[in-house]
Formats: sequence, C-alpha cells, structure tokens
Amino acid sequence: MIGPIISSGIVSPAWDNIFAVLLGMGFGFALESSGFSSSRKIIGTFFGYDFVVVKVFFTAAIVASMGLLYLSYFGLVDYSLLYIQPTFLTSAIVGGIIMGIGFSMGGFCPGTSLCAAAVGRIDGLVFFGGMFIGVFLFSESFSLFENMFYSGSQGAKMINEAFGISPELFTFFLVLAAVGMFFGAAWVQKKVKKVEY
Amino acid sequence: MERKYTILAVLMIVLALGLVVLPKKKEMKEADPKTLLSAITEKSRFLSVDLVTHRIIENDPTLLLIDLRPADQFKAFALPGSINIQPDSLLSVTTLELLNQPGKDKILYANSDLTAEKAWLLATRYSVDRLYILKGGLNEWYNTIIKPGEISTAASSTELDLISFRNAARQHFTGAGQTTNEPVAKKAPEKVKVVRKPPEAASGGGC
Repeated sequence: MIGPIISSGIVSPAWDNIFAVLLGMGFGFALESSGFSSSRKIIGTFFGYDFVVVKVFFTAAIVASMGLLYLSYFGLVDYSLLYIQPTFLTSAIVGGIIMGIGFSMGGFCPGTSLCAAAVGRIDGLVFFGGMFIGVFLFSESFSLFENMFYSGSQGAKMINEAFGISPELFTFFLVLAAVGMFFGAAWVQKKVKKVEY
Repeated sequence: MERKYTILAVLMIVLALGLVVLPKKKEMKEADPKTLLSAITEKSRFLSVDLVTHRIIENDPTLLLIDLRPADQFKAFALPGSINIQPDSLLSVTTLELLNQPGKDKILYANSDLTAEKAWLLATRYSVDRLYILKGGLNEWYNTIIKPGEISTAASSTELDLISFRNAARQHFTGAGQTTNEPVAKKAPEKVKVVRKPPEAASGGGC
C-alpha cells in the first residue's frame, strides 16, 4: 500500500471527510493536552515566559517532514502525489502580518480558539465568533483584495528548491535550527520573570 | 533543559542526519509534455526493416531488440538476439532499468506497429532515450526479407542493391537455396526454324 491512500485510489474519496474529522479530533486532543486552550500560555511566546507553542509546532513540523521523507524513501508514500499549497508571496506576507497581530492581541490562533471554545472558555468563544465575522467581512469585500490576494504567484514551490538544496538537506538544517531554538527558548525562559496562570 | 528533552533532541538530529547520509534512489523522471509532443511528431523513431536487418546480420553490439508479443509467439519465432517483454510489465523497475541501459539502441517490435507505438509512448514518457520502433513490425519484416518479392527489369541500381541485400538476408535467416545476383529477365520465345529436308533423289532401281 502506497500513500497518499486517497490520491492513489486505495481508499475511496468518500472517506475524505471522515479522515478530516478523525484528524481534527486528534489535532484538538494534542492541542488541549499541550495546554493550548489557555490564551495566557499561548501568548507566553510573545512575552518570553512560555515557549510551548513554538516547541510543539516546530516539533510537529520536523517530525512530519522527516516522517514523510523516510516513508518516501522506503516507497510507502509517493512524494510526487502530495498536494503542495501554491505560493502567493504578497498575500502570504500580508496575511501573516494580520495573523500575527490578531494572535498577539487575542492570544489564540484559529485552531487553538476552537480548542478553547470546545472546553467552554469565554475568551475562546469570543475569538471564535470574531474569526467568523472576519471571514464573513473578507468574503464580502474580496473583490477589493482580489488582485493583491492572487499577486506574487510562484506556483507550488518548495522552500528547498528556492535554496537549491535537496529536501533531505533542508530538513537536516531545519532540525538543527529547531533544536537550537529549543535550547535558546529554554535559556530565555530562565531569564524572564515567571507568570502565574 | 531537561535530560529527556536533550535525548530527544539528539535523536532528532541523528534521524535528520540519516536522511542526508542514506544513499539516493534513482528516480525515473517523467518527460516534459512539450518534449513528449516533439518526440511524437518526429518520425525518426521508426527504423526500416532493412536497417534493422543489416544491424542484426552485422551483430551490432549496440542493438537491443525487444519483442512485445505474447511468450508463446516469441517462442515460436523471434528476431535473433531479441528479448521478450510483456507490455503489462513495461513500467516495472526491472524493465525500466533494462530500457535505461546506456549505450544501447532499444528497438521495439510486435506483429504490427500498434503495440510497439504504445510501448514507445509509455517508455518515452519515463524519459527512456534511444528507443525506436521497427516500422511495420514483424509482419513487414517477414514480407520484406523472408518472402521473395517480384523483380522488375526496370529496377534502378539502388533498388537492385536493396534486392540483393534482401536476398542475402533471406539466405542468412532461412538458409534457403542460392539465388543469382542478377535478375533473370524474361526471355522472348525462340522462333523455331523449320528445316525441310531436300527430297531424296530417286533410286536407279534394283536392290
């Protein structure tokens, strides 16, 4: 059996939404068990007293990256069938800035706000409601942003191609950067005054 | 940092290093659609039966004949030096490795062009180079080389050379009887001269 299992026809596309629900439940469980339903824990990244967000997401990224490359090497995953989100540089930068401002102001990102809302936290519920208002306003005013949204298109580009190195070498450097950052974050956390929450 | 996280960090680095150090597997790259279209429209992929036959007789070491017919047909008869590959195993790892042998001209053939064309298209898409098709397939080869053709007295010298070559090739493959090098022209029927005996002189009589 060679993955991806839906693209390669092993499993019917009708299972798409079922897998999405199961993976979403697993993701929510991982977030909640990491304490991401607390906005104070999440915002600790910006104030230097708790870097759990960076550690968890960076660990997930490097584990997923290495896992895919090893599975591809052993012929269990067809790397060429994986979907790659197209890069729209301008809208990615603008969206990233807006996302960062919202994250630091609200203490949640979309996924963690759902996590907090699910455990009944009021700030999570408010953030979740605000997110939908934002989505609604964006979709209604999309014609104003359409040109900017689709500008800077670079196709389905991989970051290792931009650097001219193999995915394996890029992943190795990424792991080194992640481990270095974990040690750095631990050092900063020791220096910053602890916050009780 | 806690000891367990240090151990996990070292483990991650070792695994990432493994990715870099592991030997690379050769991946078959698919041909660009424009390259493929250009290859399809060009007719140089077809090789004439005369050219292929010449190379077979010369024992050309760069020639690799690939018979795409069923195994029983291959066993019954095949061009000398050919190997049998079933079309459904054309894209297997072993077959692709064989097709990607450097320094060989791979010539595909079946009874006609159809199967060979399909196989050529699939293999070319996998960037297999130096891949050709025997024009007309085995049927054309048989009708041209093995089956003696009619010779016209008005044939040009080039055509006569070709006919000579085909005759020699027929002899090479079948060991059939010798044939003259020159074409036998049709002789006009000879006119028979009737010679009438002169009447015998009458005898004088007596016995």
